[in-house]
Amino acid sequence: MDFEFSVIIESLPALLEGAKLTWFITILGIVGGMSIGILAGLGRLAGTESLGEEPQGFFKPLSVLIRYVSGGYVESIRGTPIIVQAMFLYFAFPMLVKAVIDIERFRVEALTAAVITIMVNAGAYIAEIVRGSVISVHKGLLEAGMSLGISRFQLIAHVIGPIAIRRMIPPLGNQFIISLKDTSLFIVIGVGELTRQGQEIMASNFRALEVWLTVAILYLIMTTCLAMTLRYFEKKMKMF
Amino acid sequence: MSIIIELKNVCKSFGNTEVLHNIDFSVTEGEVVVVIGPSGSGKSTLIRCINCLEMITSGELIVDGISIPAERKRTRQIRLEVGMVFQSFNLFPHMTALENVAFGPRKARKVGKTKATDIARALLGKVGLADFEDKLPGQLSGGQQQRVAIARALAVNPKVMLFDEPTSALDPEMIGEVLDVMKGIAKDSGMTMVVVTHEMGFAAQVGDRLIFMDDGKIVEEGKPGEVMKNPKSERLKDFLGHVKHH
Repeated sequence: MDFEFSVIIESLPALLEGAKLTWFITILGIVGGMSIGILAGLGRLAGTESLGEEPQGFFKPLSVLIRYVSGGYVESIRGTPIIVQAMFLYFAFPMLVKAVIDIERFRVEALTAAVITIMVNAGAYIAEIVRGSVISVHKGLLEAGMSLGISRFQLIAHVIGPIAIRRMIPPLGNQFIISLKDTSLFIVIGVGELTRQGQEIMASNFRALEVWLTVAILYLIMTTCLAMTLRYFEKKMKMF
Repeated sequence: MSIIIELKNVCKSFGNTEVLHNIDFSVTEGEVVVVIGPSGSGKSTLIRCINCLEMITSGELIVDGISIPAERKRTRQIRLEVGMVFQSFNLFPHMTALENVAFGPRKARKVGKTKATDIARALLGKVGLADFEDKLPGQLSGGQQQRVAIARALAVNPKVMLFDEPTSALDPEMIGEVLDVMKGIAKDSGMTMVVVTHEMGFAAQVGDRLIFMDDGKIVEEGKPGEVMKNPKSERLKDFLGHVKHH
Protein backbone atom coordinates (compact mmCIF):
# COMPACT_ATOMS: atom_id res chain seq x y z
CA MET A 1 0.00 0.00 0.00
CA ASP A 2 1.36 3.39 -0.83
CA PHE A 3 0.28 6.41 1.16
CA GLU A 4 1.33 9.81 -0.18
CA PHE A 5 1.28 12.71 2.18
CA SER A 6 1.76 15.08 -0.71
CA VAL A 7 -1.72 14.14 -1.96
CA ILE A 8 -3.20 15.40 1.29
CA ILE A 9 -1.22 18.63 1.11
CA GLU A 10 -2.28 19.19 -2.49
CA SER A 11 -5.95 18.54 -1.89
CA LEU A 12 -6.15 20.38 1.41
CA PRO A 13 -6.96 23.89 0.06
CA ALA A 14 -9.95 22.60 -1.89
CA LEU A 15 -11.10 20.46 1.01
CA LEU A 16 -10.83 23.38 3.41
CA GLU A 17 -12.97 25.43 1.04
CA GLY A 18 -15.52 22.63 1.23
CA ALA A 19 -15.24 22.48 5.01
CA LYS A 20 -15.87 26.22 5.18
CA LEU A 21 -19.06 25.80 3.20
CA THR A 22 -20.13 22.84 5.35
CA TRP A 23 -19.57 24.96 8.45
CA PHE A 24 -21.48 27.87 6.94
CA ILE A 25 -24.52 25.73 6.06
CA THR A 26 -24.44 24.09 9.48
CA ILE A 27 -24.27 27.29 11.52
CA LEU A 28 -27.06 28.97 9.56
CA GLY A 29 -29.03 25.74 9.73
CA ILE A 30 -28.63 25.45 13.49
CA VAL A 31 -29.56 29.08 14.13
CA GLY A 32 -32.65 28.81 11.93
CA GLY A 33 -33.44 25.34 13.20
CA MET A 34 -33.34 26.52 16.81
CA SER A 35 -35.74 29.38 16.04
CA ILE A 36 -38.15 27.13 14.18
CA GLY A 37 -37.72 24.34 16.74
CA ILE A 38 -38.49 26.50 19.76
CA LEU A 39 -41.60 27.90 18.07
CA ALA A 40 -42.85 24.52 16.87
CA GLY A 41 -41.93 22.76 20.12
CA LEU A 42 -43.83 25.30 22.22
CA GLY A 43 -46.53 25.29 19.53
CA ARG A 44 -47.13 21.59 20.05
CA LEU A 45 -47.69 22.36 23.73
CA ALA A 46 -49.91 25.42 23.17
CA GLY A 47 -52.84 25.38 25.54
CA THR A 48 -51.70 22.30 27.44
CA GLU A 49 -50.99 22.06 31.15
CA SER A 50 -47.27 21.83 30.47
CA LEU A 51 -47.24 25.58 29.82
CA GLY A 52 -49.39 26.52 32.78
CA GLU A 53 -53.14 26.61 32.69
CA GLU A 54 -55.47 25.73 29.90
CA PRO A 55 -56.54 28.74 27.84
CA GLN A 56 -59.91 30.39 28.08
CA GLY A 57 -62.27 31.81 25.46
CA PHE A 58 -60.84 32.72 22.07
CA PHE A 59 -57.44 31.24 22.84
CA LYS A 60 -58.81 27.76 23.17
CA PRO A 61 -59.55 27.07 19.46
CA LEU A 62 -56.44 29.09 18.54
CA SER A 63 -54.23 26.86 20.65
CA VAL A 64 -55.74 23.76 19.02
CA LEU A 65 -54.92 25.16 15.59
CA ILE A 66 -51.35 25.97 16.64
CA ARG A 67 -50.94 22.44 18.03
CA TYR A 68 -52.13 20.86 14.78
CA VAL A 69 -49.95 23.06 12.54
CA SER A 70 -46.85 22.43 14.65
CA GLY A 71 -47.60 18.73 14.89
CA GLY A 72 -48.15 18.42 11.15
CA TYR A 73 -44.85 20.13 10.46
CA VAL A 74 -42.88 17.95 12.86
CA GLU A 75 -44.42 14.69 11.70
CA SER A 76 -44.07 15.38 7.98
CA ILE A 77 -40.43 16.41 8.28
CA ARG A 78 -39.48 13.56 10.60
CA GLY A 79 -41.30 11.16 8.36
CA THR A 80 -39.40 11.90 5.15
CA PRO A 81 -35.66 11.53 4.37
CA ILE A 82 -33.66 14.74 4.35
CA ILE A 83 -32.28 13.89 0.91
CA VAL A 84 -35.85 13.80 -0.46
CA GLN A 85 -36.55 17.15 1.21
CA ALA A 86 -33.47 18.68 -0.43
CA MET A 87 -34.38 17.27 -3.86
CA PHE A 88 -37.93 18.46 -3.45
CA LEU A 89 -36.89 21.98 -2.56
CA TYR A 90 -34.26 22.19 -5.29
CA PHE A 91 -35.95 20.41 -8.20
CA ALA A 92 -39.66 20.04 -7.48
CA PHE A 93 -40.52 23.22 -5.61
CA PRO A 94 -39.58 25.58 -8.51
CA MET A 95 -41.79 23.55 -10.84
CA LEU A 96 -44.61 23.75 -8.38
CA VAL A 97 -44.21 27.51 -8.15
CA LYS A 98 -44.13 27.86 -11.92
CA ALA A 99 -47.27 25.78 -12.23
CA VAL A 100 -49.17 27.74 -9.65
CA ILE A 101 -48.08 31.28 -10.43
CA ASP A 102 -46.98 31.93 -14.01
CA ILE A 103 -43.36 33.00 -13.62
CA GLU A 104 -40.82 32.70 -16.42
CA ARG A 105 -37.76 31.80 -14.47
CA PHE A 106 -37.90 30.68 -10.90
CA ARG A 107 -35.22 28.61 -9.30
CA VAL A 108 -33.82 27.96 -5.87
CA GLU A 109 -30.06 28.31 -5.59
CA ALA A 110 -28.40 25.07 -4.48
CA LEU A 111 -26.83 26.72 -1.43
CA THR A 112 -30.13 28.35 -0.46
CA ALA A 113 -31.87 25.02 -0.80
CA ALA A 114 -29.21 23.40 1.38
CA VAL A 115 -29.47 25.98 4.15
CA ILE A 116 -33.28 25.95 4.17
CA THR A 117 -33.37 22.16 4.18
CA ILE A 118 -31.09 21.96 7.21
CA MET A 119 -33.09 24.67 9.02
CA VAL A 120 -36.43 23.02 8.38
CA ASN A 121 -35.15 19.51 9.04
CA ALA A 122 -33.27 20.34 12.24
CA GLY A 123 -36.22 22.50 13.34
CA ALA A 124 -38.52 19.48 13.43
CA TYR A 125 -36.16 17.43 15.59
CA ILE A 126 -35.34 20.39 17.82
CA ALA A 127 -39.09 20.94 18.29
CA GLU A 128 -39.30 17.49 19.82
CA ILE A 129 -36.28 18.18 22.01
CA VAL A 130 -37.92 21.40 23.23
CA ARG A 131 -41.24 19.66 23.81
CA GLY A 132 -39.61 16.79 25.66
CA SER A 133 -37.65 19.12 27.93
CA VAL A 134 -40.66 21.28 28.72
CA ILE A 135 -42.93 18.38 29.63
CA SER A 136 -40.18 16.96 31.83
CA VAL A 137 -40.38 20.00 34.13
CA HIS A 138 -42.04 18.83 37.33
CA LYS A 139 -45.68 19.88 37.53
CA GLY A 140 -45.23 20.89 41.15
CA LEU A 141 -42.86 23.67 40.08
CA LEU A 142 -45.52 25.11 37.76
CA GLU A 143 -48.02 24.98 40.60
CA ALA A 144 -45.55 26.68 42.93
CA GLY A 145 -45.10 29.45 40.37
CA MET A 146 -48.81 29.82 39.69
CA SER A 147 -49.62 29.88 43.40
CA LEU A 148 -47.41 32.97 43.73
CA GLY A 149 -49.72 34.76 41.31
CA ILE A 150 -47.29 35.21 38.41
CA SER A 151 -48.48 35.38 34.80
CA ARG A 152 -48.20 32.56 32.29
CA PHE A 153 -45.50 34.47 30.43
CA GLN A 154 -43.47 34.89 33.62
CA LEU A 155 -43.97 31.22 34.38
CA ILE A 156 -42.55 30.23 31.01
CA ALA A 157 -39.73 32.80 31.10
CA HIS A 158 -38.52 32.30 34.66
CA VAL A 159 -39.52 28.80 35.72
CA ILE A 160 -40.19 26.45 32.80
CA GLY A 161 -37.63 27.98 30.41
CA PRO A 162 -34.49 27.97 32.57
CA ILE A 163 -35.14 24.43 33.81
CA ALA A 164 -36.02 23.07 30.36
CA ILE A 165 -33.01 24.68 28.66
CA ARG A 166 -30.59 22.79 30.91
CA ARG A 167 -32.22 19.53 29.92
CA MET A 168 -32.14 20.41 26.22
CA ILE A 169 -28.37 20.73 25.94
CA PRO A 170 -27.33 17.06 25.64
CA PRO A 171 -29.93 16.13 22.99
CA LEU A 172 -29.26 19.42 21.18
CA GLY A 173 -25.59 18.46 20.93
CA ASN A 174 -26.71 15.28 19.26
CA GLN A 175 -28.91 17.12 16.79
CA PHE A 176 -26.28 19.74 15.91
CA ILE A 177 -23.77 17.01 15.06
CA ILE A 178 -26.34 15.12 13.02
CA SER A 179 -27.19 18.30 11.11
CA LEU A 180 -23.54 18.96 10.37
CA LYS A 181 -23.10 15.49 8.96
CA ASP A 182 -26.37 15.76 7.04
CA THR A 183 -24.85 18.58 4.97
CA SER A 184 -22.81 15.88 3.20
CA LEU A 185 -26.03 14.78 1.50
CA PHE A 186 -26.18 18.05 -0.43
CA ILE A 187 -23.68 16.47 -2.77
CA VAL A 188 -26.81 15.42 -4.71
CA ILE A 189 -27.85 18.99 -5.47
CA GLY A 190 -24.33 20.09 -6.33
CA VAL A 191 -23.37 22.14 -3.30
CA GLY A 192 -19.58 22.31 -3.07
CA GLU A 193 -19.40 21.26 0.57
CA LEU A 194 -16.72 19.02 2.02
CA THR A 195 -17.96 15.66 0.78
CA ARG A 196 -18.49 16.99 -2.73
CA GLN A 197 -14.98 18.47 -2.78
CA GLY A 198 -13.60 15.12 -1.68
CA GLN A 199 -15.56 13.34 -4.38
CA GLU A 200 -14.27 15.69 -7.07
CA ILE A 201 -10.63 15.40 -6.01
CA MET A 202 -10.99 11.66 -5.82
CA ALA A 203 -12.41 11.54 -9.31
CA SER A 204 -9.39 13.33 -10.69
CA ASN A 205 -6.54 11.59 -8.83
CA PHE A 206 -8.08 8.30 -7.67
CA ARG A 207 -6.37 8.60 -4.26
CA ALA A 208 -9.33 7.33 -2.24
CA LEU A 209 -7.43 6.55 0.96
CA GLU A 210 -5.74 9.94 1.39
CA VAL A 211 -8.73 11.98 0.29
CA TRP A 212 -11.43 10.24 2.36
CA LEU A 213 -9.17 10.03 5.38
CA THR A 214 -8.64 13.78 5.22
CA VAL A 215 -12.34 14.40 4.68
CA ALA A 216 -13.19 12.23 7.68
CA ILE A 217 -10.68 14.04 9.89
CA LEU A 218 -12.04 17.44 8.85
CA TYR A 219 -15.57 16.33 9.77
CA LEU A 220 -14.30 15.02 13.08
CA ILE A 221 -12.64 18.36 13.87
CA MET A 222 -15.86 20.24 13.15
CA THR A 223 -18.11 17.91 15.14
CA THR A 224 -15.65 18.05 18.04
CA CYS A 225 -15.88 21.85 17.98
CA LEU A 226 -19.67 21.62 18.22
CA ALA A 227 -19.53 19.07 21.01
CA MET A 228 -17.04 21.14 23.00
CA THR A 229 -19.12 24.30 22.63
CA LEU A 230 -22.16 22.52 24.05
CA ARG A 231 -20.09 20.97 26.83
CA TYR A 232 -18.97 24.47 27.74
CA PHE A 233 -22.56 25.68 28.04
CA GLU A 234 -23.51 22.59 29.99
CA LYS A 235 -20.80 23.32 32.54
CA LYS A 236 -21.50 27.03 32.64
CA MET A 237 -25.12 26.55 33.62
CA LYS A 238 -24.90 25.31 37.15
CA MET A 239 -26.53 21.93 37.27
CA PHE A 240 -28.71 20.78 40.07
CA MET B 1 -63.88 39.16 61.93
CA SER B 2 -65.10 38.59 58.41
CA ILE B 3 -65.25 35.43 56.38
CA ILE B 4 -62.41 35.18 53.88
CA ILE B 5 -63.02 31.74 52.37
CA GLU B 6 -66.48 30.37 51.80
CA LEU B 7 -67.54 27.12 50.15
CA LYS B 8 -71.21 26.39 49.58
CA ASN B 9 -72.33 23.00 48.35
CA VAL B 10 -69.04 22.49 46.52
CA CYS B 11 -68.49 19.34 44.44
CA LYS B 12 -65.35 18.37 42.59
CA SER B 13 -64.97 15.41 40.25
CA PHE B 14 -62.03 14.02 38.34
CA GLY B 15 -63.73 12.29 35.43
CA ASN B 16 -66.35 10.06 37.00
CA THR B 17 -64.78 10.06 40.44
CA GLU B 18 -66.32 12.54 42.82
CA VAL B 19 -63.60 13.71 45.19
CA LEU B 20 -65.49 16.45 47.03
CA HIS B 21 -69.13 15.94 47.86
CA ASN B 22 -71.37 18.90 48.81
CA ILE B 23 -68.80 20.65 50.97
CA ASP B 24 -69.98 23.56 53.11
CA PHE B 25 -67.09 25.23 54.81
CA SER B 26 -65.88 28.68 55.67
CA VAL B 27 -62.82 30.27 57.22
CA THR B 28 -62.80 33.52 59.18
CA GLU B 29 -59.90 35.95 59.07
CA GLY B 30 -57.16 35.04 61.55
CA GLU B 31 -58.46 31.52 62.03
CA VAL B 32 -56.24 28.43 61.92
CA VAL B 33 -58.17 25.49 60.51
CA VAL B 34 -56.59 22.05 60.56
CA VAL B 35 -57.90 19.46 58.13
CA ILE B 36 -57.29 15.78 58.84
CA GLY B 37 -58.46 12.59 57.23
CA PRO B 38 -57.28 9.41 55.54
CA SER B 39 -55.53 9.64 52.19
CA GLY B 40 -57.98 9.98 49.33
CA SER B 41 -60.50 11.75 51.56
CA GLY B 42 -60.30 14.94 49.45
CA LYS B 43 -58.48 17.20 51.91
CA SER B 44 -55.70 18.15 49.49
CA THR B 45 -58.22 18.71 46.69
CA LEU B 46 -60.17 20.98 49.03
CA ILE B 47 -57.30 23.38 49.59
CA ARG B 48 -56.11 23.14 46.00
CA CYS B 49 -59.57 24.36 44.93
CA ILE B 50 -59.22 27.37 47.21
CA ASN B 51 -56.03 28.32 45.34
CA CYS B 52 -57.58 27.62 41.90
CA LEU B 53 -55.06 24.86 41.25
CA GLU B 54 -58.15 22.73 40.77
CA MET B 55 -61.44 24.06 39.49
CA ILE B 56 -64.61 23.14 41.36
CA THR B 57 -67.17 21.19 39.37
CA SER B 58 -70.23 22.76 40.98
CA GLY B 59 -71.26 24.86 43.95
CA GLU B 60 -70.03 28.22 45.11
CA LEU B 61 -66.53 29.16 46.18
CA ILE B 62 -65.69 32.70 47.26
CA VAL B 63 -62.16 33.67 48.22
CA ASP B 64 -61.40 37.17 49.46
CA GLY B 65 -64.60 38.44 47.88
CA ILE B 66 -63.90 36.92 44.47
CA SER B 67 -66.18 34.20 43.17
CA ILE B 68 -64.47 31.19 41.59
CA PRO B 69 -64.24 30.20 38.75
CA ALA B 70 -63.05 33.64 37.74
CA GLU B 71 -61.31 35.01 34.69
CA ARG B 72 -57.56 34.62 34.62
CA LYS B 73 -56.68 38.08 35.93
CA ARG B 74 -58.85 37.61 38.98
CA THR B 75 -57.54 34.10 39.49
CA ARG B 76 -54.08 35.61 39.75
CA GLN B 77 -55.42 38.15 42.19
CA ILE B 78 -56.74 35.35 44.39
CA ARG B 79 -53.41 33.56 44.26
CA LEU B 80 -51.60 36.71 45.34
CA GLU B 81 -53.74 36.70 48.47
CA VAL B 82 -53.55 32.95 49.05
CA GLY B 83 -50.09 31.45 49.62
CA MET B 84 -49.47 27.75 49.28
CA VAL B 85 -46.94 25.37 50.79
CA PHE B 86 -46.64 21.95 49.16
CA GLN B 87 -45.81 18.52 50.50
CA SER B 88 -42.85 18.22 48.13
CA PHE B 89 -41.56 21.80 48.71
CA ASN B 90 -41.42 22.57 44.97
CA LEU B 91 -38.62 25.11 45.29
CA PHE B 92 -37.28 26.39 41.99
CA PRO B 93 -34.16 24.25 41.61
CA HIS B 94 -32.22 26.80 39.56
CA MET B 95 -32.58 29.61 42.10
CA THR B 96 -30.81 30.10 45.42
CA ALA B 97 -32.84 30.21 48.63
CA LEU B 98 -32.79 34.01 48.49
CA GLU B 99 -33.82 34.11 44.83
CA ASN B 100 -36.65 31.67 45.51
CA VAL B 101 -38.06 33.92 48.20
CA ALA B 102 -37.47 37.18 46.31
CA PHE B 103 -39.08 35.80 43.15
CA GLY B 104 -42.71 36.35 44.20
CA PRO B 105 -42.34 39.95 45.35
CA ARG B 106 -40.26 40.77 42.30
CA LYS B 107 -42.43 39.19 39.59
CA ALA B 108 -45.91 38.96 41.08
CA ARG B 109 -45.93 42.10 43.27
CA LYS B 110 -43.57 44.05 40.95
CA VAL B 111 -41.41 45.22 43.81
CA GLY B 112 -37.94 46.61 42.97
CA LYS B 113 -34.95 44.28 43.14
CA THR B 114 -33.37 45.78 46.26
CA LYS B 115 -36.64 45.85 48.13
CA ALA B 116 -37.49 42.28 47.09
CA THR B 117 -34.09 41.14 48.34
CA ASP B 118 -34.67 42.92 51.64
CA ILE B 119 -38.07 41.23 52.03
CA ALA B 120 -36.51 37.86 51.21
CA ARG B 121 -33.61 38.34 53.65
CA ALA B 122 -35.97 39.28 56.45
CA LEU B 123 -38.16 36.24 55.82
CA LEU B 124 -35.23 33.84 55.56
CA GLY B 125 -34.11 35.22 58.92
CA LYS B 126 -37.57 34.64 60.32
CA VAL B 127 -37.53 30.97 59.32
CA GLY B 128 -34.01 30.62 60.74
CA LEU B 129 -32.12 30.33 57.46
CA ALA B 130 -30.28 33.65 57.25
CA ASP B 131 -26.97 31.83 56.71
CA PHE B 132 -28.29 29.74 53.82
CA GLU B 133 -29.40 32.40 51.36
CA ASP B 134 -26.87 31.45 48.68
CA LYS B 135 -27.61 27.73 48.78
CA LEU B 136 -29.48 26.00 45.99
CA PRO B 137 -32.45 23.87 47.07
CA GLY B 138 -30.47 20.72 46.25
CA GLN B 139 -27.90 21.71 48.89
CA LEU B 140 -30.50 22.04 51.66
CA SER B 141 -32.12 19.39 53.86
CA GLY B 142 -35.83 18.66 53.51
CA GLY B 143 -36.70 20.68 56.59
CA GLN B 144 -34.64 23.64 55.38
CA GLN B 145 -36.23 23.44 51.93
CA GLN B 146 -39.70 23.47 53.41
CA ARG B 147 -38.83 26.49 55.54
CA VAL B 148 -37.59 28.31 52.43
CA ALA B 149 -40.86 27.33 50.72
CA ILE B 150 -42.84 28.82 53.60
CA ALA B 151 -40.79 32.03 53.36
CA ARG B 152 -41.39 32.09 49.58
CA ALA B 153 -45.16 31.84 50.06
CA LEU B 154 -45.13 34.52 52.77
CA ALA B 155 -43.04 36.87 50.65
CA VAL B 156 -45.95 37.99 48.45
CA ASN B 157 -47.72 39.04 51.64
CA PRO B 158 -50.83 36.86 51.33
CA LYS B 159 -53.89 37.08 53.52
CA VAL B 160 -54.27 33.31 53.75
CA MET B 161 -51.73 30.49 53.85
CA LEU B 162 -52.59 26.99 52.72
CA PHE B 163 -50.41 24.07 53.82
CA ASP B 164 -50.77 20.78 51.95
CA GLU B 165 -49.24 18.13 54.23
CA PRO B 166 -46.12 20.26 54.78
CA THR B 167 -44.32 17.70 56.95
CA SER B 168 -45.35 14.43 55.30
CA ALA B 169 -42.24 14.21 53.11
CA LEU B 170 -39.83 14.99 55.94
CA ASP B 171 -37.63 12.81 58.12
CA PRO B 172 -38.97 12.71 61.69
CA GLU B 173 -36.19 14.88 63.13
CA MET B 174 -37.00 17.69 60.69
CA ILE B 175 -40.73 17.84 61.31
CA GLY B 176 -40.30 19.88 64.48
CA GLU B 177 -38.39 22.74 62.87
CA VAL B 178 -41.08 23.19 60.20
CA LEU B 179 -43.96 22.98 62.69
CA ASP B 180 -42.20 25.56 64.89
CA VAL B 181 -42.05 27.99 61.96
CA MET B 182 -45.75 27.40 61.26
CA LYS B 183 -46.64 27.93 64.91
CA GLY B 184 -44.68 31.18 64.83
CA ILE B 185 -46.65 32.41 61.81
CA ALA B 186 -49.97 31.56 63.45
CA LYS B 187 -49.10 33.11 66.80
CA ASP B 188 -47.09 36.18 65.81
CA SER B 189 -48.77 37.44 62.70
CA GLY B 190 -52.27 36.10 63.29
CA MET B 191 -52.24 34.67 59.76
CA THR B 192 -55.31 32.89 58.45
CA MET B 193 -54.20 29.32 57.84
CA VAL B 194 -55.70 26.15 56.45
CA VAL B 195 -53.42 23.23 57.25
CA VAL B 196 -53.79 19.70 55.94
CA THR B 197 -51.70 17.52 58.22
CA HIS B 198 -51.43 14.37 60.29
CA GLU B 199 -49.64 16.17 63.11
CA MET B 200 -52.22 15.94 65.91
CA GLY B 201 -49.99 17.74 68.40
CA PHE B 202 -49.82 20.74 66.08
CA ALA B 203 -53.59 20.61 65.55
CA ALA B 204 -54.25 20.61 69.29
CA GLN B 205 -51.77 23.36 70.04
CA VAL B 206 -52.33 25.81 67.19
CA GLY B 207 -55.63 24.93 65.58
CA ASP B 208 -58.75 26.97 66.27
CA ARG B 209 -60.85 24.42 64.51
CA LEU B 210 -60.36 20.82 63.42
CA ILE B 211 -62.06 19.30 60.41
CA PHE B 212 -62.17 15.58 59.79
CA MET B 213 -62.81 14.58 56.20
CA ASP B 214 -63.59 11.17 54.83
CA ASP B 215 -64.73 10.09 51.40
CA GLY B 216 -65.07 13.65 50.10
CA LYS B 217 -67.25 14.85 52.98
CA ILE B 218 -66.70 16.79 56.17
CA VAL B 219 -67.55 14.21 58.82
CA GLU B 220 -66.72 16.07 62.03
CA GLU B 221 -65.82 19.61 62.93
CA GLY B 222 -65.07 21.48 66.14
CA LYS B 223 -62.46 22.60 68.67
CA PRO B 224 -59.39 20.39 68.13
CA GLY B 225 -59.13 19.28 71.78
CA GLU B 226 -62.80 18.30 71.99
CA VAL B 227 -62.98 16.57 68.64
CA MET B 228 -59.88 14.53 69.43
CA LYS B 229 -60.99 13.66 72.95
CA ASN B 230 -64.59 12.77 72.12
CA PRO B 231 -64.80 11.61 68.50
CA LYS B 232 -68.40 10.94 67.61
CA SER B 233 -68.10 8.89 64.46
CA GLU B 234 -66.59 5.43 64.23
CA ARG B 235 -64.46 6.56 61.30
CA LEU B 236 -62.79 9.32 63.27
CA LYS B 237 -62.21 7.00 66.24
CA ASP B 238 -60.62 4.51 63.92
CA PHE B 239 -58.54 7.21 62.22
CA LEU B 240 -57.31 8.73 65.50
CA GLY B 241 -56.34 5.27 66.70
CA HIS B 242 -54.14 4.81 63.65
CA VAL B 243 -52.57 8.26 63.85
CA LYS B 244 -51.67 7.88 67.53
CA HIS B 245 -49.94 4.58 66.97
CA HIS B 246 -47.50 6.10 64.52
